Amino acid sequence: MKARKPPTLRLALLLGLLGASTTLALDAGGFGYTKSVETIIRTEPRALAPAVGRLGYHKKVKIDQSKGLWLRVSDGPLSGWVFSGSLSDTMPPEVKGTDGLPLNASQTTASAAPRPLTPEAEAYASRRNLGFARNDLNWLQSQCRGLNPAEVENYLQTQKKGEYQ
Amino acid sequence: MSARTLLVLLLAAGAAAIAAAQFDFLKQAVDKLKTGNTPAPTQQQSDTVSAVGQIFKGAAGIGPKEEHDIGDSVALEIVGKYGGLVRDAAALHRVNVIGRTLARYSDRPELNWRFGVLNSESVNAFSAPDGWVFITHGLYSLARNDDALAGILGHEIAHVTGRHALKIVEGTTFMSGLAGLAAARSSDVRAVDSQLQQFDLGIGKIASSILEKGYSPETEYEADRNGRHLAQITGYAPGGLRGVLTYLQQHGGDSKATFSTHPPLRDRLKRLPDEPAPKI
Repeated sequence: MKARKPPTLRLALLLGLLGASTTLALDAGGFGYTKSVETIIRTEPRALAPAVGRLGYHKKVKIDQSKGLWLRVSDGPLSGWVFSGSLSDTMPPEVKGTDGLPLNASQTTASAAPRPLTPEAEAYASRRNLGFARNDLNWLQSQCRGLNPAEVENYLQTQKKGEYQ
Repeated sequence: MSARTLLVLLLAAGAAAIAAAQFDFLKQAVDKLKTGNTPAPTQQQSDTVSAVGQIFKGAAGIGPKEEHDIGDSVALEIVGKYGGLVRDAAALHRVNVIGRTLARYSDRPELNWRFGVLNSESVNAFSAPDGWVFITHGLYSLARNDDALAGILGHEIAHVTGRHALKIVEGTTFMSGLAGLAAARSSDVRAVDSQLQQFDLGIGKIASSILEKGYSPETEYEADRNGRHLAQITGYAPGGLRGVLTYLQQHGGDSKATFSTHPPLRDRLKRLPDEPAPKI
């Protein structure tokens, strides 16, 4: 027979848990936050289900239900399914643009495209005699520019990763 | 009141104090963000900084521009120290496809993520702010299956999303208005030199932490934990990193050439769940 924990011990454990962590798990009854410029909410818990709506960055949503790696969320009248990896359990930076985020989805391509090293870094490379490292990083940037986002999407689908699991 | 009850109440009070301190800390951080309040600059600094309308920034105040500058400069130091990059198109494609797949579900999916292979046969991996991730050729050669590679890259992505490198310069003043100053007061040679010196010192501090001393063990365990979770939610075997660490341990990997900037392999393995690991 299991010994029942006295109420004071339970209270202490509860307070201990509160003290140990202020993060919230992504689970039914809790909340999640969008972390991308655009998060698609779908009619069913699968990657290719029709979209019922799209949410912008830093939106707090209520989690109504979980099913495997999918969460049924609601934001006012909008309700539907989102892949759990698309939400964060902690609030992202409040100020739009903290991560260099574009203000809307149409600006995504320009913002996320690999850019040259900043002038400050270029100057740093000169001061520190890191010319060969600068050339290598610029080469890496150019190679990354050549990687089409569609290739990553195709990899996700064929290898059954992310929301395609 | 029994001694046990008293002990329980003391524990509860301690926990409540911790919680209160956390909330107070959070409140202070939010207030700081709202008001931009930071330690008062010296007169000379104040003059220099106000000239370009900048304020001192800690990690919480490091914006995208500063993160680009820091990230690029730290990446230069990493590539410089580890013999440059391997210009192998197939390897580069593989690390970038798997890396970006993971990054998509990280807490900072919109960062400009770039993954490179360092021309070194030592076994290690590094990251720099703003989405730079590097794996040595020695470690890349061991990560023949995608689960293992995802475990390694997930750990480094966790360092970036956790802003671990930026926290090293938290509260320091080295980023104060560098860009604006250089542009606006290029004739003020002494002031510009001083700012450049501060910048170089700050980058040196981060580079030394990443490349020589390593992060604190707690920071590394956090990156192990969060990287494992990221790999798992993305659809890779969660034991990928465990597989690599186990292989290295079994092959005498606790040497200076193996994860020299990380805690001992046995300590990392002890903290990871005991779960099936893909064969290396």
